[in-house]
Amino acid sequence: MDFFQIIGDYITKAAQGFADSFYQNFIEDNRWKYLTSGLVNTLLITAGALVLGVVLGFLIALIRTTHDKTGKLGFLNWLAKLYLTVIRGTPVVVQLMIVYFVIFASVRINQVVVAIIAFGINSGAYVAEIFRSGIMSIDPGQMEAGRSLGLNYRQTMWKIIMPQAVKNVLPALGNEMITLLKETSVAGYIAIRDLTKGGDIIRNRTYSPFLPLLAVAAIYLVIVLILQALVGRMERRLAKSDRN
Amino acid sequence: MKLTKIVAGAAALVLALSLASCGGTSKKIESADDLVDAAIGAQGGTTGAIYIDDDIQDGLLGEATLQEFKSGMEAVTALKQGKIDAVVIDNEPAKVFVEQNDGLKILETPYIVEDYAIAKDNTELKDQFNQAIAELKEDGTLDQLLDYYINKNEEAQPYTSPEGIEYDGKLIMATNAQFPPYEYYENETIVGLDVDIARAICDKLGKELEISDMEFDSIITAIQTGKADFGAAGMTVTKDRLENVDFTDSYTTGVQVIIVKE
Repeated sequence: MDFFQIIGDYITKAAQGFADSFYQNFIEDNRWKYLTSGLVNTLLITAGALVLGVVLGFLIALIRTTHDKTGKLGFLNWLAKLYLTVIRGTPVVVQLMIVYFVIFASVRINQVVVAIIAFGINSGAYVAEIFRSGIMSIDPGQMEAGRSLGLNYRQTMWKIIMPQAVKNVLPALGNEMITLLKETSVAGYIAIRDLTKGGDIIRNRTYSPFLPLLAVAAIYLVIVLILQALVGRMERRLAKSDRN
Repeated sequence: MKLTKIVAGAAALVLALSLASCGGTSKKIESADDLVDAAIGAQGGTTGAIYIDDDIQDGLLGEATLQEFKSGMEAVTALKQGKIDAVVIDNEPAKVFVEQNDGLKILETPYIVEDYAIAKDNTELKDQFNQAIAELKEDGTLDQLLDYYINKNEEAQPYTSPEGIEYDGKLIMATNAQFPPYEYYENETIVGLDVDIARAICDKLGKELEISDMEFDSIITAIQTGKADFGAAGMTVTKDRLENVDFTDSYTTGVQVIIVKE
């Protein structure tokens, strides 16, 4: 009987402590708003950077494969290689600060725009290699077949190679999207209030690390799960035409 | 080749976008009252940032925005580049930043006055620290250090440990060494007023001082979770902080001032 009472007291106390901590970290002074407004910024940056990254990456991949297949575009290919080397060879947080403090020196600019540009340029390098591997994975016979049917290089690329390539790289692209979302957590370095920074601000006001950090982690996890589900759905739709 | 045109077009678009996002005028700030509607920078987790954030939420600063940087230096850089209108920061680091950067000045009216102390999470240790601080105040060591670091008196000396001292164990101090003259790097070691005071206290307690340099907003958490024994980083005593850690008696006062462009 005593034993159960002790356990019961302990659970009540723990629950009370949790409730107090929850109140202090999220309810008091509307602190949850730091998380929601931070989440909006995180999603904005991720979405913007994703679009910029895919456009950039697609162009770079086209330049690189066209050069490999036809030997044309020598200068652009050199430029693309330089871009890949520099961007993949330096940490994204350093690139972010260079864009903010060096490239946009002396300019009053919305930091979210800066982050979209920095993360977009960064992501573009990885997306480029993903697309390139997709294009290279298509059997050369496909190109030869297209050309012998009277399609020119560009038509074959667009109508035969690309649709197959994109389908092949979709899992890798989804992975890059998830990585990008989590990488934006360093946006706080240029004073953006993103999700991570929102949690940091709450920690700075309440000095309890437990709940804010766990809440931030849980929100990222939920977003990633949603993204995974979306990619999975897209993969299944594109797989409809597969032979089983 | 059409691809060249696409690439050139994309480059032009990026350029146009970046140019379009330029502009925006900075606000002239002559006193604390002018902070209304301004873009204000501060170091994340400092009382400067907390007070500004509270004042914004209480509607005292109109449409003002707060941008929390990782260090005071980055906030000052953003101010110099015209990205923000003012930086709220402690007086002594503010002086160093203004000295090292042309075209900046400190407003004569402070934002707020406050007490600095050492944060701890151990009542027994706190009493020992308080006693040591009282002794340092009495024998003039504290005044000498303030003279050296704050008043820049050339005759004053920084603290040196007595020769032949033997230590029994060590105490870990959490700090953020980007806050001159309280703590900063010189010749690859961390020095400053807080470091000297901490070393003097530890010498009195017969403990070796070990310094752990971390982000400012991690210091209190590091003490709470036992990763450090105490924190000394030009830290102000506040009600919220007192709920989570103990503070020693105050060893000096600080002033939150406003830095603006000249």
